[in-house]
Amino acid sequence: MSKIRRGVKQRTSRTLITGILVIFVFSIILLSGCLQRQEGLPIVVIGRDSASGTREFFWQHVMGKENFTDNLREKNSNGGIYITVTQTPGAIGYVGLSFVDTGVKVLKINNITANATNILSGEYPIARYLYFFTKGNATGATKEFIDYIQSTEGQAVVQEEGFVPLPTSNPYNATGKHLSGTLTVSGSTTVFPIAEKAKDGFMKMYPELTITVSSTGSGAGITAVGQGTVEIGMSSRDLKSSESNLDLVKYTIASDGIAIIVNTQNTYVESLTLAQLKSIYKGEITNWNELQ
Amino acid sequence: MERTTIKRWFLHKENGMKGLKEKSIKTILFLSAISAVIVIFSIIVFLLKDGYSIFGTAGIWEFLSGTRWNPTGEPPVYGAFSLIVGTLLVTIGAMVIAIPLSLGGAIFISEIATPRMRAIIKPAIELLAGIPSVVYGFFGLIVLTTWLRISFNQPSGESWLAGSILLGIMAIPTITSVAEDALSSVPREYKEGSLALGATRWQTIRSVIVPSALSGITAAVILGIGRAIGETMAVMMVCGNPTYGLIPMPITNIFAPLKTLTATLGIEMGEVATGSNHYHALFGLALLLLVITLVVNIIATLILGRLREKHQSSLKKRVRLPHEISKKIKQSFYLFMGIIIIWILIISTGVIPAVGIVALAVAVYYLMKKISAKTMQYIAFSMITLAILLVIIILCIILSYIIVNGAGAIITPGFLTEGISNLGRSGGIFPAIIGTLYLVIGAIAIALPLGVGAAIYLNEYTREGKITKIIRTGADLLNGTPSIVFGLFGFAFFVLYLKMGFSLLAGQITLAFMILPTIIRTTEEALKSVPQSLREGSLALGATKWQTIRKVVLPPAAPGVLTGAILGIGRAAGETAPIMFTAVVFSSFIPQSVFEPVNALPYHLFILATSIPGSKQNQAGTALVLLLLVIGIYLIAILLRNRYRKTMKW
Repeated sequence: MSKIRRGVKQRTSRTLITGILVIFVFSIILLSGCLQRQEGLPIVVIGRDSASGTREFFWQHVMGKENFTDNLREKNSNGGIYITVTQTPGAIGYVGLSFVDTGVKVLKINNITANATNILSGEYPIARYLYFFTKGNATGATKEFIDYIQSTEGQAVVQEEGFVPLPTSNPYNATGKHLSGTLTVSGSTTVFPIAEKAKDGFMKMYPELTITVSSTGSGAGITAVGQGTVEIGMSSRDLKSSESNLDLVKYTIASDGIAIIVNTQNTYVESLTLAQLKSIYKGEITNWNELQ
Repeated sequence: MERTTIKRWFLHKENGMKGLKEKSIKTILFLSAISAVIVIFSIIVFLLKDGYSIFGTAGIWEFLSGTRWNPTGEPPVYGAFSLIVGTLLVTIGAMVIAIPLSLGGAIFISEIATPRMRAIIKPAIELLAGIPSVVYGFFGLIVLTTWLRISFNQPSGESWLAGSILLGIMAIPTITSVAEDALSSVPREYKEGSLALGATRWQTIRSVIVPSALSGITAAVILGIGRAIGETMAVMMVCGNPTYGLIPMPITNIFAPLKTLTATLGIEMGEVATGSNHYHALFGLALLLLVITLVVNIIATLILGRLREKHQSSLKKRVRLPHEISKKIKQSFYLFMGIIIIWILIISTGVIPAVGIVALAVAVYYLMKKISAKTMQYIAFSMITLAILLVIIILCIILSYIIVNGAGAIITPGFLTEGISNLGRSGGIFPAIIGTLYLVIGAIAIALPLGVGAAIYLNEYTREGKITKIIRTGADLLNGTPSIVFGLFGFAFFVLYLKMGFSLLAGQITLAFMILPTIIRTTEEALKSVPQSLREGSLALGATKWQTIRKVVLPPAAPGVLTGAILGIGRAAGETAPIMFTAVVFSSFIPQSVFEPVNALPYHLFILATSIPGSKQNQAGTALVLLLLVIGIYLIAILLRNRYRKTMKW
């Protein structure tokens, strides 16, 4: 009896070992295809989703309305691009200048650094305006809030948040004005921090007024203001032709540079020309070592 | 003479009043019963209304077969084929991972585990079904993709493989519990007969139990497929989303990024200009997605229905092909599958390794034939145990990552009670917790009366017939509708058509529709478990139908109804996709009325994980709070159900 059992046990262990070996070899063969050493550093191209205002701008001004590479990976926010670039050594992405900090490396474009001075002077080539939209001309509290953001005080917030202020602005005058009720603002994720911060200063002057700001994306913000569910829609892009029938009035509140960011481990490049940037996003340049 | 007339008149009058009351109650119940049908019908109508125009603009064939999705290009191109392929590939990959593991798990629970182990593992697996998909997505984005990138030396870990692994893990609880039910319902005599004939336990499982439960197992797999196809948040977070949709080159390249139907909707819906062609195209995609999942779910329902019939009448005999022919068909089928597998191997690894693999496989096959039944059982059981261990280990890794990283945030003073500051990097999540509570309370307040009413109508007021069939089908279809489709419907109907805007109310109703089928089903089960004799006794004593239901049937069924409600609450608390376009905004305010937007825990986590750099600790903290909330709710439901099952004895 015990002999038989021992025999069974031996055979079992033998088959088990064979089985494990087979599985092991199997998986190694399958994975060996993936483990081939790669030359240089393949580029992982990151961009925004097709409904994004930032992408629209990038596509018009960098790509010349040509198609991106099929491998462009979509993220639906500036922060998403930033996070992916910090986590992926070969990644390249574009974000609003305000999102940049030491966690990523900002590339120069045509050897020009992305900063407020170069954007205001028009030397930095990829910059755009940010807008507030209202249904018809702004009146009452809505108008005052827009005036405030366009004033010296509001533009200080713009600068504080990393955006580029308007070239000229006057101090805000609150004397003799009295505002109350509620005001709702929603829209672009890029513009959100400006409105959120400016609202604090504004509400201090008018304690009876309540402002709520929410970030839903440019398209949703424009839809909401068009329907009258909010008073102000924030947007990082201008109106599209399909939105022109909404009877919206545009207020420019700041400008924003688009920074081209790569991972801090990327030692291949410091500056790109616009043509090189376009080639990367078209998928013609696929490895960083082609740019050395 | 006169007195009796008057008495009769009074009796008549009383009966009339009673009859009227009974009738109106019946009408109300009927209305709530058809609500599920109305909801699924209006979902289809609204998707068609907003989606059909794209089939005209782009052409239905171009829409279905075009491989390029570029709705904002010049000219815009609407080709959904690569998105469909993406959805299918991710689902297939998920099933490759989920089917063996969950079948192993199901066999382990129903046939191998000791009663005590079963008592722990079964509810544990059911609990896992409750983990919100955004929590899986968060884990996938932070841990899984990085691990894949480094260990396989890829430029990026966001890929088909990442999506399939995540979806596979998510589908395991669904498949395991349905398959386990099927295995457990195989009659005892089959098993005893087989064992008495001298078969080993494994032989019994392989040749008797699994084949008898096959249709139930198939239905389980199909339900898993349905869940995987409709999943949004996790897939959107880890699959990479190549912008125009991408069919991997070669097709076996599991590290290629993919874009699925659901992810396209989730990403693009938020910022699309309402009324544009792009907007209509997204509704076209939603329609496509709905059709695919409905077909999958109808197949599952049919199979399960046939299974029920088979149990009821085993007299009907299946017509069988003659043995010779069926053997030939089988052989050619195996040959065909073999050639396909070899072809895939050659494409993916090259000729020489492929030949090696085939030789190895043949060797293993003949080796297997030589093994004794007992050794075979040993091997099979160890594989099965390995499967369940693997599932448990994976889940432990996910849970421990979230707990270890989230605990630090939770114990920070103010995390649970303060508002959001610095875009969620610091401060607390109080508005999100309150928002989730508001959403859930509203959803259950709407869904519970409707669902319970529908179940009472189905179970007490009608015989099985055409109407009940239509209502049941409606509820089943609603149950299989992907959550993102609810989100789009809510956006089109409540936010735009009824002009509610992004509001608490729109989110509550959308969530209510989503959990309605769960509540109908669990309430019906509870009502069915009340013995018929109780009803007959009550009716014989002169009680009306409604009195019987209210005083006799509902009280013992109450714990079951409550379980359903709690399961509904758990599901509503964890879902992101339905509220993403109807109710939530990422901000720190608490609504004062139902017409204002809210923040919610799952959405807060989604935004932190995908859009706010430097919020690591609060991400994990939010994930942990959400996890504890949902798992806690599910735990209460499961405990309640188990207790109720034990104490109810007739």
